[in-house]
Amino acid sequence: MADRKTDRLIRVDMTRQTATIESFPEKWKLLGGRGLSARILLEECDPTCDPLEAENVFVLAPGLLAGSSAPTSGRLSVGGKSPLTGGIKEANVGGDAGQDLMKLGYRAVIVTGKPENPDLRYGLSVFADEVTVVGADEHKGKWNYPLIEDLCKVYSKKASFVSIGPAGELLLAGASVACTDHSQDRHPARHAGRGGLGAVMGSKGLKFFVIEAGGTRARKPVDKTFFQLSKKYTREFVAGPGQEPFPKWGTSVICEEANSIYTFPYKNRVEGRSPDVETLDGMRIVESFETRGGGMHNCLTGCIVKCSNIVHDANGEYKTSGLEFETLTMLGSNCAIAHWEDVADLDRLCDDIGLDTIEMGAAIGVYMDAGGMEFGDAEGAKRLVREIAEGTEIGRAIGNGAATIGRLKNHHRVPSVKGQAIPAWDPRPLKSAGVTYCTSAMGADHTAGLVVDPGMAPEEFVRSSQESQILNAVVDSSGFCQFLMPNIVEIGEFYSSFLGTSISREEMADMGWRCLEDEWEFNRRAGFGPEDDKMAPCMAEDVIGDEVKFVWDVPDSVVATAYERFEAREELFEMRPS
Amino acid sequence: MPILEVPSRYRVPTRGEAVLELSGTTIRECIAEAETRFPGFLELILDSQGRQKRFVRFFLNGEGLERDALDSALEPGDRVTIMASAAGG
Repeated sequence: MADRKTDRLIRVDMTRQTATIESFPEKWKLLGGRGLSARILLEECDPTCDPLEAENVFVLAPGLLAGSSAPTSGRLSVGGKSPLTGGIKEANVGGDAGQDLMKLGYRAVIVTGKPENPDLRYGLSVFADEVTVVGADEHKGKWNYPLIEDLCKVYSKKASFVSIGPAGELLLAGASVACTDHSQDRHPARHAGRGGLGAVMGSKGLKFFVIEAGGTRARKPVDKTFFQLSKKYTREFVAGPGQEPFPKWGTSVICEEANSIYTFPYKNRVEGRSPDVETLDGMRIVESFETRGGGMHNCLTGCIVKCSNIVHDANGEYKTSGLEFETLTMLGSNCAIAHWEDVADLDRLCDDIGLDTIEMGAAIGVYMDAGGMEFGDAEGAKRLVREIAEGTEIGRAIGNGAATIGRLKNHHRVPSVKGQAIPAWDPRPLKSAGVTYCTSAMGADHTAGLVVDPGMAPEEFVRSSQESQILNAVVDSSGFCQFLMPNIVEIGEFYSSFLGTSISREEMADMGWRCLEDEWEFNRRAGFGPEDDKMAPCMAEDVIGDEVKFVWDVPDSVVATAYERFEAREELFEMRPS
Repeated sequence: MPILEVPSRYRVPTRGEAVLELSGTTIRECIAEAETRFPGFLELILDSQGRQKRFVRFFLNGEGLERDALDSALEPGDRVTIMASAAGG
């Protein structure tokens, strides 16, 4: 059983293919997940480096509470300089890898260097007291599902895996990092999707990580009240928010609600509502459970939210899991693909090839809008995604994301910020979220600070965005899932009892702000400036809505005030992730 | 008169109005009345069959209501709060 006294980190040099275990530095003891990844990158990565060269640093950092008995707290942060944006990136993911690394006492894995021969593939095997770089040429080019199936034959039944598919090996800027979920078959269905970090892992020659935690028990808190706190929080969640539609059925059932408030983009975002919302709505997936099987499950050990769906095909066979609202919107409505089953096929393809479904939905939408393919051509979209794995010219362009295909087709409507595609939640009705897209160091990323509030007063846009960004930085550093919806005060209570030292809510908020500052500073050193904070021009040109019109009209000068910290108010501490 | 409290998520049709004073005797009547004053409001709250939408919850004087309470009688001065529970990505 690992506790904080034996905390360690793993350093991997992929130029020499060596791995070493070190003590975890005292200076980072309060950091985990996203906050730790940001600090490592700021201290150890040259922000001006080529993201796909040896100088970039690839980080795996579980949240501070991962591996403990706190509910739904095992999330993993994957970090590096993004080949998609050229800035810092953290992508947060479920599955069991974060839990298992922390149970073994590994607070971070820091990968540097690059093999001299880019054709060779490697894996990193992580055991309690031994970490080894292993040859993996036999897995070269494998898609994620067959790769994991093969690895499961070699490693123990309790091993968890982190892997890339062909997209990562092809160094595409839309490549994701897959983590196996908590299911018996360990599906590679949980993805650190955004920012192209799969390509960074691929550039290091790494095809997979295997973490063998065996029967290692949960991490020990200093203060035993931690156990009561976990039980109390679990009891209250299960009896309260856990009864609500979202945790019960997952994010996919939000389509109808999003459509009603004009944030269900249609045809590369020229409309905010889709005529196909009924056939895309995740309730159709829920209804399918009765005849096809599948159902809801927890993607990581100890999760009480259980918002991940397992989707079966018409024959009752497993097709995909974790088919989320964002995927149904971006690969469905945004491409005018009308039926959830086609989106499920696309989701499986993206998971297998190792691609961010948001970026791919945006890229295919731009391609369709530019005349490359008819809107609504589901089979054509599937062929296109397969071409990404084949490495064809058009496949590579799509696999590099919306901005790349927009440039290739010389198309004017490319909804992205800092080179990263805008997710489903639309900045025209949701202007506070738009401020986040502009000012987050990671570009258009709803997980950086989402506020779903189209009726918000204009004077609240920036302040609410900043509060949401601070909150999400705290949540993503803790290991808690945003869908557990903890607030800063509650996370502070968990930290205090786990670490045995009182941490105030103000100190928690300061940690969130420091994480944002580290990320902004990395980008400043990488050469980012105010011109990189601009919303995609099409969001200010294409008006959506019916009686009430929505367009992006928040002045750049107002957006820029998000960098100045507001005095904390009660709303910051009461706010929960959206 | 019953008071209807509108969360900011649904204030686009009400042009920012957060509190509506209405004369309806049930929640359904209040919503219908609000629709006549603020077109587009009803479709945010009720589906095409007139049922409460999936993510909409009602609270009466601070107490959560069951999902089939749309036609329950309201008293003058009752405060009906609409809550939206959707989140996620």
